[in-house]
Amino acid sequence: MAQMWITMGPQHPMTHGLWTLRVKVDGETVVDTEAELGYIHRGVEKICESRDFTQVTPYCDRLCYVSAMTWANSYIYAAEDLLEADVPERAEYIRLISAELQRLASHLMWLGAFGPDIGNLTLMTWCMRDREMFLDLLQELGGSRMHYNYPRIGGVKRDIPVGFADRMIAKVKLFERRIEEYEMMLDESTIWLVRLQGVGYANAEEMVEAGVSGPNVRAAGVNYDVRWAHPYSVYDEVDWEPAVEKPTSVKGADCYDRYRVRMEEMRQSCRMVLDAIEKIPGGKNTNYANGDEMIYQKAPTRAPEGATGFSNYECTRGASQFYVKGGGDGRGKNPYRLSIRSPMFITIPFVAKTMIGYKVADIPAIMGSFDPCIGETDR
Amino acid sequence: MADTGENFAAFNSRALVEMVGGVTDEALKVTKIKQFLSVLAGRFFNWAGRKSLFTLHLGIKCCAIEMAAAATPRFDGDRFGVLFRSSPRQSDVLLVNGPVSKKFADKIVRLWEQMPEPKYCIAMGECAISGGPYFQSYNILEGVDTVIPVDVYIPGCPPRPEALIDGFGLLREKIIRIGGAPSSERESEKPLIVGDE
Amino acid sequence: MSNLGTTVTLSQNEAAANDCLAAINSRFSGSGVVASVERHSNAKKYAFVRITTPPQHWQALAKWLRFDLGVNYCSMVTGTHFPEGPQERGWEVAYHFLRQPITDQLPNTHTVYVAEKLDGRLIPMEFEVLIPLENNDTPTVPTVQHIWGGADWNEKETWDLVGIKFEGHKNMFRVLNPHDSPEGFHPLQKQHKIRYHDHNEMYDDAQGFGRKPADEGRIK
Repeated sequence: MAQMWITMGPQHPMTHGLWTLRVKVDGETVVDTEAELGYIHRGVEKICESRDFTQVTPYCDRLCYVSAMTWANSYIYAAEDLLEADVPERAEYIRLISAELQRLASHLMWLGAFGPDIGNLTLMTWCMRDREMFLDLLQELGGSRMHYNYPRIGGVKRDIPVGFADRMIAKVKLFERRIEEYEMMLDESTIWLVRLQGVGYANAEEMVEAGVSGPNVRAAGVNYDVRWAHPYSVYDEVDWEPAVEKPTSVKGADCYDRYRVRMEEMRQSCRMVLDAIEKIPGGKNTNYANGDEMIYQKAPTRAPEGATGFSNYECTRGASQFYVKGGGDGRGKNPYRLSIRSPMFITIPFVAKTMIGYKVADIPAIMGSFDPCIGETDR
Repeated sequence: MADTGENFAAFNSRALVEMVGGVTDEALKVTKIKQFLSVLAGRFFNWAGRKSLFTLHLGIKCCAIEMAAAATPRFDGDRFGVLFRSSPRQSDVLLVNGPVSKKFADKIVRLWEQMPEPKYCIAMGECAISGGPYFQSYNILEGVDTVIPVDVYIPGCPPRPEALIDGFGLLREKIIRIGGAPSSERESEKPLIVGDE
Repeated sequence: MSNLGTTVTLSQNEAAANDCLAAINSRFSGSGVVASVERHSNAKKYAFVRITTPPQHWQALAKWLRFDLGVNYCSMVTGTHFPEGPQERGWEVAYHFLRQPITDQLPNTHTVYVAEKLDGRLIPMEFEVLIPLENNDTPTVPTVQHIWGGADWNEKETWDLVGIKFEGHKNMFRVLNPHDSPEGFHPLQKQHKIRYHDHNEMYDDAQGFGRKPADEGRIK
């Protein structure tokens, strides 16, 4: 049987972003793959060398646009390491709440895009409808539906509005019942199970060796989450558990495990948010003015040459790291070098190798289950 | 009848169609029915075209998420006839929703050239209008209109889904005005910007 | 969750960092490899291990880290260009690693850690390896592509953007810039400036709309 290369080119409804996947097929079986990235390489690392430390935050929102709040927080921790800034506790609680709400919105976007890949078009409408609930909450905090520019070096920009706590509790409790609706629809659907189980095995040791992290690795039974291993913020004071799945095969985690781990993560995020809003210092119904010392502590704006900052953060798709070197622009107002580590940049070549041996029709299932987001990949 | 290069000695239907077509065309021209029909058909096609703008399923960056949100139950672009098609050959509108990098520049031009006339281009978001926050980048073009003629600009970073739906409304008004003029003859048109009045 | 005992504590972290420091010093002291325990200034102010090594010892150190110390995860590779730096530090490559507690994963199991009970080599730890290079036109570092899989594409990206060559790296190609970029074009080097880098006027009327911004003429 003749073999040929098929280009699933940059414009493709399934690839969830702009990248090329070239597959070599022998009939219907995938024999080899090649991934090509870089179609939206914006040179963010170079641009940020001419920006102040505060001006870099909007760029980090736009790295992974589906989970903007987590990326902005990730950069802010690195800048706080560099500039040696302290953060008040209420601000840490608010950052935790905003990051977990963003994680919920991001996983819903993933599910809403994954469902149509498998053929379940209803999921798109249901998930986007529920995602709007969380976007409204994040809009109350940050001012915009998608790019918030919300955390600041030394705290957050503004406090939670009055009444936000009640709205959030109501919506999160409603959403917890909605997760059960999703599971009812999907776990009892033969098509869903047949298309996801037994497809796309990825071994835990190989994934860690290759640099994959986050829910993809937790689906293989490996309990590693930056939130407990290298703790930051107030995750050690809030009631939660890492969401880890038991893989059913010695070959590793299949697409079904990766789907289940994200559903479980959504439940844990709901739990975290409900607990954090009760424990927040200062009360959940008080609103402090912008710049109040409960939510913001003024940080130095310059970093000398030789100072470095590093942050390790659990973004929705894996462990993201920022490495900032101070001393740019002569007087130290800009970063000399800002380096961004994107979990998806490493995962996508790994996923391309995972697809070998399966059928062409399994490609959307495998690709979608790893949750690619090209904005962070291409920086 | 076999001297057109085909080597079957059967009835050559192509020559018959040409002959009948030529006669009918002359008849219609003389009685001015052709002019009447073409005006009517033009109006009809214009109505059908602007009420069913098939958009290419192209998602470059963040504005693609707002484009997806505009297609979902809360904002619902489908009630305006906006449907997403996967193939450029089947779409009318190229909605550019992100920055165009040097690597993607000739691919987006190829997508534009593959779309059949009448076709329209909407630049959504700052990155597509002028390069956006990345206007200083070494890899990003300063706006998609450096390579493709754009009809409607939708500012915002990202523009809300309501702004995108408004942009489609502006495009519909433009289509009423210019009809099916091919994109190469539209360069003298003033650009339409959402929120400009 | 602090009452459930499932976060790595400060004392565990300090103990692990000091153990690693002792191990590195006992193996590599006196050979130009300098290790120290630094502390973050952010989050919970945890400790991490920073190692500075000259390029010729890098592969030996890498193998020892991977197989003897159990550092199994390479996260990022950063290259920096210091054109005005000292002669011995014109370029610097920074590798960041994590040690993740991964044990043999049996099917149908998942590892349940009580983080406070982790000890020895299982405690997660961050590592930073800095390799300063001479200030010349041909910065070269031996590759560790065969030791960590995560270093593969990270090294490709560092070569693509910064221009540092990785000796022994198989199948090097440009991953982010277009494939037909000019030979020797590595944008993150300091002699390349971004567009409009010395302009104060951000609006140039590039589209030809003939409109002026509302704050035109004001000194910014």
